[in-house]
Amino acid sequence: MELSRRNFFKILGVTGASVVAVKGKARAWESKAPPDPFGCLVDLTRCIGCRKCEQACNDVNALPKPDRSFDDLTILDTKRRPDEKTFTIVNRYYPGKIDERDQLIPTFVKIQCMHCQDPACVSACIAGALTKKENGTVHYNVSKCIGCRYCMVACPFEIPAYEYFNPITPKVMKCTFCFDRISKEGGQPGCATICPVEAITFGKRNTLLKLAKKRIKENPADYIDQIYGENEVGGTSWMYISGVPFEKIGFNKLPSEPMPKLSETVQHSLFSYLWSPIALYGILGGIMWAFRNNGDNTEIENNGGAR
Amino acid sequence: MKNKKMTALLAGIFMVGVSLLLILMSAGQWPSQARAKVTPGTATVSPPIPAMVSAKADNGVVKTDWKAPDQEAAKLRANEEVPFVETFIDECLLCRQQKLRDQGLSTKDIPNTYFLLDSPIIKKQEDHYKPVRFMHAKHAAEANDCAVCHHYRPTDPEALETTRCSACHQESFKKDHPERLGLKAAYHLQCMKCHQDMNKGPVDCIGCHAKNVPDHKELVKLPANPAPEQVTNECLRCHQEAGEDMLTTAHWLWKGPSPNTMEHRKEVRHGKGTDVFNNY
Repeated sequence: MELSRRNFFKILGVTGASVVAVKGKARAWESKAPPDPFGCLVDLTRCIGCRKCEQACNDVNALPKPDRSFDDLTILDTKRRPDEKTFTIVNRYYPGKIDERDQLIPTFVKIQCMHCQDPACVSACIAGALTKKENGTVHYNVSKCIGCRYCMVACPFEIPAYEYFNPITPKVMKCTFCFDRISKEGGQPGCATICPVEAITFGKRNTLLKLAKKRIKENPADYIDQIYGENEVGGTSWMYISGVPFEKIGFNKLPSEPMPKLSETVQHSLFSYLWSPIALYGILGGIMWAFRNNGDNTEIENNGGAR
Repeated sequence: MKNKKMTALLAGIFMVGVSLLLILMSAGQWPSQARAKVTPGTATVSPPIPAMVSAKADNGVVKTDWKAPDQEAAKLRANEEVPFVETFIDECLLCRQQKLRDQGLSTKDIPNTYFLLDSPIIKKQEDHYKPVRFMHAKHAAEANDCAVCHHYRPTDPEALETTRCSACHQESFKKDHPERLGLKAAYHLQCMKCHQDMNKGPVDCIGCHAKNVPDHKELVKLPANPAPEQVTNECLRCHQEAGEDMLTTAHWLWKGPSPNTMEHRKEVRHGKGTDVFNNY
């Protein structure tokens, strides 16, 4: 069958229309967040910066002992980040409030993996090493990890760390939410257990949200009316309430849309049924077909003859 | 006028003399009294404390197996577990004060002068510190208001108006009572908040907690009259890291004036590492 120029465009038009129809039928992005996960509520008005959570975390996860003792509070003079040897750290901020003796009131902020409801790291992981569990944990399975470190790039909180010092069997390191401990009945994360002032309240996320709202409502002078982690990146299992604006104490302002929503929508609509590569190569093929006789073939033939 | 003063002075001297005599007498009688106080009943209630029982007569100090009765009571009390109070009456401070006044309760009615703040509820989770000694009567006298600490009361009308902390505050993160503080947090928040507000009393860990350190009597091995260097070396035998840490601190490295030690009335110009003699 001779394919005329007109016929070719007809075929192309029909293919394009059907692809658009299929795309329209493709499901919209859906959250894969577990319905009733565990969570932790960190009340920054209570935290006293004793670093006991760091110590408990180190013990529970059998992490290497730090150079400086956990009793050394001068370490709070510098801002730190969790790394491959520490899953959680406490930073001290002076947001500007002063007490009746004109002393700056510090606010201590504990940082660890937020265990997002729709984690960007899980979405970015191409090997399925990171998974969001029913109990709320963002769980890392080292046996599946290929060490691409996409999770580190994806994380909006910049949490996953990598064992660069270990060339043979490096791992991605981050807070485990004490997965083994909280999987047991009545189990609690190490940091929440040790906290002397219950700055960390452990429980079901839904209960904690109610609790946080109750605390803010009953003490409006002590808290700002925001629960960090309620809506940030679609909600996180770890949430914070504070007496000072979150921007002043090192929290990033983040969208309420889950991070994977945009990337997965783009990804899934572009590559569903492989329509985009088919269409691309179809168009390229069509262009080649349409211009098959336009090229100056004589020169090539001449050259070929000369050889 | 002058006469009156003289008689008063004489009376004062006489009183002091009499009280001194009394103290001396009681001190002389003390061992026999103490022995009489130890009844078999109290001895069986709690296990004896090894340090107290071992009646070593070295250094001329006579050790008896006498135990402070209030401390023994506090120990027993600290180990008690009481049923959990599910509901409580949320009253304002003034209402509480009024209620206590109506019942004729004041800080003078304190049955227990001092507590050991410890509980099997806390021990179930962790055991890092020895019990905190809490001078109940002293704090009550200072605050002169029961309601400051005994903030709510159980709904049960039979319950004590000033119920103990561990009746309402028990395990942390109870499923049915997520808002209820655990015992440990209740203690810490209550104590530290008040200490902060009053600008009085410790707000750091070691102010109240003696750390659960092993008894160093057996661990430290030194000759009878050790030289200062020997003592330091003996410490460093185990605490090598602490020694190295010390070399990075201001105690060792300090050079120059010390405006921040004003209150100590002492100007420190050099740290131990520079020109002090005992910088071994």
